[in-house]
Amino acid sequence: MTLTRTILLAALGAGLLLGGPAQADGTLTVAQRQDPANWDPVDTFLVAWSSAGANIFDGLIRRDENLELQPGLAESWEVLEDGMRLRFALRQGVTFHNGEPFDAEAVKYTFERLLGDIGAAGPQRSNYTSIDSIEIVDDSTVDFVMNTPDPVMLTKLAGYGAMIVPPKYIEEQGQEAFDMHPVGTGPFKVVSYDQGESLVLEANADYFGGAPELDGLVYRFIREDSTRLAELQSGGVDVVHDIAFSAIPTVEASGNASIVSVPGPTVQSLQFKPTGDVATADVRVRQALIMAVDRQALIDAFLAGRGSPIASLQGKLSFGYDAALEPYPYDPEAAMALLAEAGVAPGTPMTIDYRADNSTFAEVAQALTGFFANVGVVAELRPIEDAVFLNEIVPQGRTNEMFQFAWGGWTFDFDNTAYLVYHSGEKWNPYGTSDEMDALLETQRRSADPAERERILKEVARMAHDEAYHMPLYNEDTVYAVSNRVENFVAAPDRRVRYDETRVTE
Amino acid sequence: MKSFEFIAGILLIAVIGGAVLLSPWLFPGGGTSMDLAARLTPPFTDPAHIIGTDTQGRDLLARVVVGGRVSFVVGIVSALGAVAIGTVVGLYAGYYRGLLDVFLMRFADVQLALPFILLAITVIAIIGPGLDRIIILMIVAQWVQYARLIRGSVLSLREAEYVQAARAYGLPATRIIFGHILPNALGPLIILTTLNVANNILLESSLTFLGLGISPLVPSWGGMLAEGRNYIQTAPWISIFPGIAILLTVLGLNLLGDWLRDRLDPLGQTK
Amino acid sequence: MPILFYLSKRALQALLVMIVVTLFVSFAIRLTGDPAVMKLSQAANATAEDLARIREAMGLNRPFHVQYLDFIGGLFTGDLGTSFFRGPVAPLIATALPATLLLATTSLLVSLAISIPLGVYAATHRGSLADQAIRVLSLVGLSFPNFWLGIMMVLLFSVTLRWLAPSGFTGPLSLVMPAATIGIILTATNLRIVRTTMLDVLSAQYIMVARAKGLSERKVVYKHALRNSSIALVTYLGLQFGGLMGGIVVVELVFGWPGMGTLAIDAIAQRDYPILQAVISILAITIVGVNLLVDLTYAVLDPRIRLE
Repeated sequence: MTLTRTILLAALGAGLLLGGPAQADGTLTVAQRQDPANWDPVDTFLVAWSSAGANIFDGLIRRDENLELQPGLAESWEVLEDGMRLRFALRQGVTFHNGEPFDAEAVKYTFERLLGDIGAAGPQRSNYTSIDSIEIVDDSTVDFVMNTPDPVMLTKLAGYGAMIVPPKYIEEQGQEAFDMHPVGTGPFKVVSYDQGESLVLEANADYFGGAPELDGLVYRFIREDSTRLAELQSGGVDVVHDIAFSAIPTVEASGNASIVSVPGPTVQSLQFKPTGDVATADVRVRQALIMAVDRQALIDAFLAGRGSPIASLQGKLSFGYDAALEPYPYDPEAAMALLAEAGVAPGTPMTIDYRADNSTFAEVAQALTGFFANVGVVAELRPIEDAVFLNEIVPQGRTNEMFQFAWGGWTFDFDNTAYLVYHSGEKWNPYGTSDEMDALLETQRRSADPAERERILKEVARMAHDEAYHMPLYNEDTVYAVSNRVENFVAAPDRRVRYDETRVTE
Repeated sequence: MKSFEFIAGILLIAVIGGAVLLSPWLFPGGGTSMDLAARLTPPFTDPAHIIGTDTQGRDLLARVVVGGRVSFVVGIVSALGAVAIGTVVGLYAGYYRGLLDVFLMRFADVQLALPFILLAITVIAIIGPGLDRIIILMIVAQWVQYARLIRGSVLSLREAEYVQAARAYGLPATRIIFGHILPNALGPLIILTTLNVANNILLESSLTFLGLGISPLVPSWGGMLAEGRNYIQTAPWISIFPGIAILLTVLGLNLLGDWLRDRLDPLGQTK
Repeated sequence: MPILFYLSKRALQALLVMIVVTLFVSFAIRLTGDPAVMKLSQAANATAEDLARIREAMGLNRPFHVQYLDFIGGLFTGDLGTSFFRGPVAPLIATALPATLLLATTSLLVSLAISIPLGVYAATHRGSLADQAIRVLSLVGLSFPNFWLGIMMVLLFSVTLRWLAPSGFTGPLSLVMPAATIGIILTATNLRIVRTTMLDVLSAQYIMVARAKGLSERKVVYKHALRNSSIALVTYLGLQFGGLMGGIVVVELVFGWPGMGTLAIDAIAQRDYPILQAVISILAITIVGVNLLVDLTYAVLDPRIRLE
């Protein structure tokens, strides 16, 4: 019910008290922090988009909760001509929610839109520029002609920008209609969308994977952490997609909901400024600062244990993860010795820059200053507004000695993060690394051989570790709070939870 | 009952203000020492942390007492700054009218049309957070209130007989303004000031809530309240104690303000 | 025609205020941050060309005065523009503005319903225990940040008692907690204003005269004294309307209330200039409009006051 309509009702003297949220049987309600505000797949990068989008749209390929690639709208695919051509056999008899058929034309339309003018105004296009053109072989076969081999393309075809969109609907109804009332092929179709409030979906009985168990699926956008928690506790929502770490003990103690968590893509790290007139220009200082911090203690205290220590900017699930690479140990004594060796006097001031919008990291940052104090470094904190941080501070190289880095490369491929942080000219690499590093990163991007890529990515991680460009803090688990009335909830590492097999009781 | 207000107000402010002023000696560490193993200790369970610890295992009592410094500074400096500027501008604008007056009234219109919190979010987002900036913003946002208030009083007072008499007597304008007009316009000014001191302490809290607060290493009541909200169900004491401190301070300030107003208002005594 | 002349003069002033306010905000918000960078902030492989293309699509490569005049021009033709992230602005405002005004008026009415009788009672029983209690309680209402009050209410009424839904808008009941949160804070100040001005008025000569004429105390208090003291209250409410809007910003966040505050905060965070400019200008018009209403109310409350 939209607000205006409700106000009208109220004004008309419908003095009925409507009471709490009216939940139809078989409807599951999800709370998440953010409203993506626009449902066009090519115009977003938001996890908030994909968590609902995963139930509305399909790509040619789907990545399941174990991060395995599964057939989506394509039943099978082959890599031809050394990766210069990808051939897809399309599923037949699939229709979009508005009834228009899914076919090779729809695939061609989707990608030409993504790579053309519409895509050019959005953030997704850059992921897919290795596609040169789409060739229709026949009604149910398409070829992707590449301009360069792209080893991660198959994974990226499960990504946001590659969701297949309905050509007729968009051409006839227009871009705005599609933004606000999206149509896909997924297990749920859109009933209504009130910006800033909720997205209401109903089951798509004709879904090619079988009709969902649920009748309806509602996403509610609630920004304040404590309010999302209260909604869960009072039965207003069934699943909270981004429960605050600080709320985990409350949910666990509540008795009517539980915490479900899986390792996720997000890593938090503290980058060092390795150049210029700062103490952290000395690699020994950087190593010392890492050893000064008990990272497991941070995980236990501020993530309620839902995270893992890491040695590089990736978690266990990531392609390129090296189990043999050990994080620097927590060793304050050794840290002090190194600091002394580097000539850093006790009481030396340093500053940590971080994004002010994350309450968990604000707590972690405070604890970091405590650990630094134990080895004689007096750290200040500088919380910075997001837009300023992302524009004026990091890319311009105007950070202090240390600055926050958080990234969740949804491809779970180390290339996504590593290129961004270690290759020259990238926005998260304002101070540069080395020519050697650049060369390694470029080589693996050109390689179609997974084994070679893995070897190179491990080398990249090891070099970054030896140079101590950063203090990898932890890999966050993806945490969901799930009401007891929900059955068959399948936690997705990337928050793209599919609700087609989930049920609710009562 | 006059004396009740005075005694209660002065007691509250003396005790809280005294503790805050003496905090460098009462809590030399300033409540900065952290201990993750002792985080979220409940009140009255550990003699070393009488009212418990916060999310970093810092002693809450020390944090609350030391945190008063920032809250007092924010509340009082910003209010006094705004009072000083607003009073002077209001007095002169009301006494001389003219261009200054026109400018003031239009400026006030603009300022009233822009909700402070939106102005604050915009400006702090751009220039970055900091205690000094927050205070300056509050002064910029609030001096107009005082200027308008004083101007209104001056407009009616400048026609009063005793002011006319003083003018006829040849007293210089400055003396008339500060010696004869200001004392008679003080009552509402004091009420507004005490209200704003309280308001500004809370405003600092709202800014922290919105992610625009000062460094979390510097304790402030508002900041502690905002930070504690994520723990309200598991560790309510983190926010309850700074909340009580704010409550008592606001209460004390306003009781004193009321008392002072009545003392300064000769009519009030006879009512 | 003096009233028409007066109204058009005020409308012109309102326009000027709106232009200055939007000019300031539009200029300031462009000083840092770049919406195109925000759009690409999670895109791993974005290049400088991508950024340039998006800036172009957003119309950001035009000079500031062109962008601003474009916005003002649109405003006069009823076109609020298109957000960088979320479609046309007009429908967004069309849902957010009623939501915010509904919340503002409800809280105002609630607070007046409480503060006027209590304030009058306190003033007419000055110094009594009830007077002291009312005044101290009103100060308690002033002592909590609004987000904190809101969260505590959610804990009590939603989590513990299960009476009210914590957020969203499902009917009139959804208004209770947000309106009460703002209402409590408003009540605290309004009560003090009512009490103080009532005290002033009650000691005025014409009240003495009214009493001497043998009018009932009830009539003296409610008909004569309250009417005159409400002038101060109305002035104060007009002055505080901007502040009320500011308080609503925070309360909207706590209760997931889809109003102008939420819209503005998102717009600032994303540097969504079209939305921010529209929200600010419409809030400015609303506030100026409310103050005009206040001045007109004066004339009704006190015929001696002339519109100048």
